[in-house]
Amino acid sequence: MEKVGIVGYYQVKSYLDANYGRYEMIFEAVRGALDDAGLKKKDITTVISCTNDYYDGRTISNCFTVEVGGGYMADESKVEMDGAHAVLYGLMRILSGNHKLAVVWGGSMPSAFPYHSARLFETDPTWERPLAYVNDITSTGFQMRAYMEKYGVIAEDIAKVAVKNRKNAAKNSLALAESQNSDITVKDVLDSDIYSVPVTELMVAQPCDGVAAILLAPEKQALKITENPVWITGVGFNQDAYYLGDRNLFESKSMELAGKTAFSAAGIKDPANEIDTAEIFGTCAHEELILAEALGFAEKGKGPVLNSEISGDLPINPSGGAMSGNVPCGTGLIRVIEAAKQIRGEANGYQVKDVNKAVASGQIGMCAQNNIVYVLEGGN
Amino acid sequence: MGRQVAIVSAGFSEHASKRSDVSMPELINEAITDCLKNAPSVGFEDIDAYVNGNMPAFEGANIPELWMTDWMGARNKPLLRVTTGGTTGGTVAIAGYYTVTSGIPGVDTVLAVAFEQQSQGDTSVGLASVAYGEISILNTLGISFDQLSRLLSAGAAIGVAAYQATTYMRKTHITEEDLARVVVQNRRNAAKTWWTHLKMPDLTIEDVLDTPYVQYPLRYGMVCPASDGAVAMLFTTEEKAKDMCDIPVYVNGVASVANETAVLGYDGSGSAQLDPSMQLGAMRSSELAYSQAGISFPRKEIDYAEVYSPFPNQELMWVEKLGLFEETTAPQMYQTGVTALNGELPINCSGGVNATNAIGASAMERPAEAALQIMGKADNQVPKTVHTSIGHGWGGSLNLCTLMVMSDEPQRKWR
Repeated sequence: MEKVGIVGYYQVKSYLDANYGRYEMIFEAVRGALDDAGLKKKDITTVISCTNDYYDGRTISNCFTVEVGGGYMADESKVEMDGAHAVLYGLMRILSGNHKLAVVWGGSMPSAFPYHSARLFETDPTWERPLAYVNDITSTGFQMRAYMEKYGVIAEDIAKVAVKNRKNAAKNSLALAESQNSDITVKDVLDSDIYSVPVTELMVAQPCDGVAAILLAPEKQALKITENPVWITGVGFNQDAYYLGDRNLFESKSMELAGKTAFSAAGIKDPANEIDTAEIFGTCAHEELILAEALGFAEKGKGPVLNSEISGDLPINPSGGAMSGNVPCGTGLIRVIEAAKQIRGEANGYQVKDVNKAVASGQIGMCAQNNIVYVLEGGN
Repeated sequence: MGRQVAIVSAGFSEHASKRSDVSMPELINEAITDCLKNAPSVGFEDIDAYVNGNMPAFEGANIPELWMTDWMGARNKPLLRVTTGGTTGGTVAIAGYYTVTSGIPGVDTVLAVAFEQQSQGDTSVGLASVAYGEISILNTLGISFDQLSRLLSAGAAIGVAAYQATTYMRKTHITEEDLARVVVQNRRNAAKTWWTHLKMPDLTIEDVLDTPYVQYPLRYGMVCPASDGAVAMLFTTEEKAKDMCDIPVYVNGVASVANETAVLGYDGSGSAQLDPSMQLGAMRSSELAYSQAGISFPRKEIDYAEVYSPFPNQELMWVEKLGLFEETTAPQMYQTGVTALNGELPINCSGGVNATNAIGASAMERPAEAALQIMGKADNQVPKTVHTSIGHGWGGSLNLCTLMVMSDEPQRKWR
């Protein structure tokens, strides 16, 4: 794979209820990314958006975001998955040689729709939806229990991940205010309300309003636009079986396969040692461990042993990860931006030392059914 | 630089107004099975990745490709979902092209699937939500709720199409008879293709003009049906394509340019509303796609076209906007038989969207049929040899457009 440069990015601050309109948010993100790269609207050749008709509450919602997303008279399309998948389509368009500058934006406003009801429409309408026993909330409980029982992991170990992420989020100025807590303890997490046994509220990445945008350019153009582009050198994506009973919930086969593809494309043989930091989209604390293990950062069941603090051996989610604000259709895109920030040394307050290679991941579906992972590298 | 992409095969499910004999995943499986049957050397193990799309709000299933995984053979394979409303099919086909051409790790052969099972939900309700968002704006402008036609003009299909039809008719001075002629050609063609919905081999212009108005100038007999159906296409690299089929069809140009939203915008923007038959997006799309494919004289170099026209006035408009005919001359071409099966430039020999409209699939059925014409495998095959063909898609609020240019020659020399 030829390398593609990330030349600009912008993230709108996450709010539980953003006090301004969706179109304004999209405009702010795309305009911010263009300003970050010192470019103009006329430089855009293709725009990839990431929204979901159910989340937006209207059919063909993307036809109304053309102008604000910079898509007027540009070759434009929409991905209806996670923002990280939209980055993939932008990447493909750059790699094709047809385009010189791709804008990728994604985001949503869960303050304007019942998030979990919309997620219920993702379930099998014949067998699962009428009973609503299997849904995005209950499935997190199944997954955490499967993980704990398979490897003998205790709830305290999983709560520690939430503590780490919420403390990291406190250092991230764009994080959701409700997720920031620098004094949080394991006891606080375990004592919070039950979300789906054994998952508690504070272990969950809370859906919130936000939009983010990123600019991609081919190698030659990227070097002209900016002095310190971040390169995408590897990508892998994969989809697991749908029915939870067809999967081993204590592991993530799709992430394993995606990681294998991405690492071999980037020439990485020993991810645990070669990667300097990782931004992983885990909807719950335990999912971060499962996905980190699938990427080969730790042996299976040994995720809790990994020192993933900002100052640790392999910092995971120094920005707070999805727990710093889970923007439907945007979280994976924000993970890519955060990984790029770490490489450019722009992560104010939560910068990891000497980052050259970073990993960012995105997902959709119950228990991370479809995963996508990127390898990002610095240096010219 | 991107790799040359080839289409190896295309397959369809049977289309009807109610396919209640199958569930949504079974419907797409039908199309995939047909697609793989047309390329006997290809099995599920040869497919490296999937692209999938539909209009989720029409059936009440969000991101249904998660649930359909096993019916597509996509378990533990890469999958990308793209949806853009009416152009979804075209977008899926274009994403299939980009997945192959980009050379992303581990992917050579891609199966693209687009579908719609409208009988599972209510399309009109779904489409109305495109309009309802703008009610407040119409109200601010003093347009009351009871003026239904104006209300619908804010977004839903028939409303905007009627506006488009009247502006086009004003420019070209055509009559309803000219519109009916397009419908007759399409539905007679549809009768010769196995998978289509409205098969009417004996339809006449009088029959069409004998039906009541839905909204002037569009009569009931001119409007597309609502269908259930699915379509699948197989994309791969030039090298692999030669082993997979006899005549690979090369994808030489793609574009999906968006125009302004054709509704009264927040600041009174939306010039597309003033003349919805202007279609700058379609013109820019054809400019882009033709230049990628090295086509300078579309009228002479394109042998066959499939355009997305749920309403007959749109077919006349698109063939002009896509550079196939001079502005305002399309109605004449239909009158003189230029666009007929044995004409100089046959259009929509599959019957087009006017005869079959499974919305999410429609815009992909266009490039699929256009590719089959090059392979010589279409049911309603044109008698002349087709070297270059186009497949077009329309959607959004009159503002989205997709275009794919295909040929029996690779595009390499033009790059």
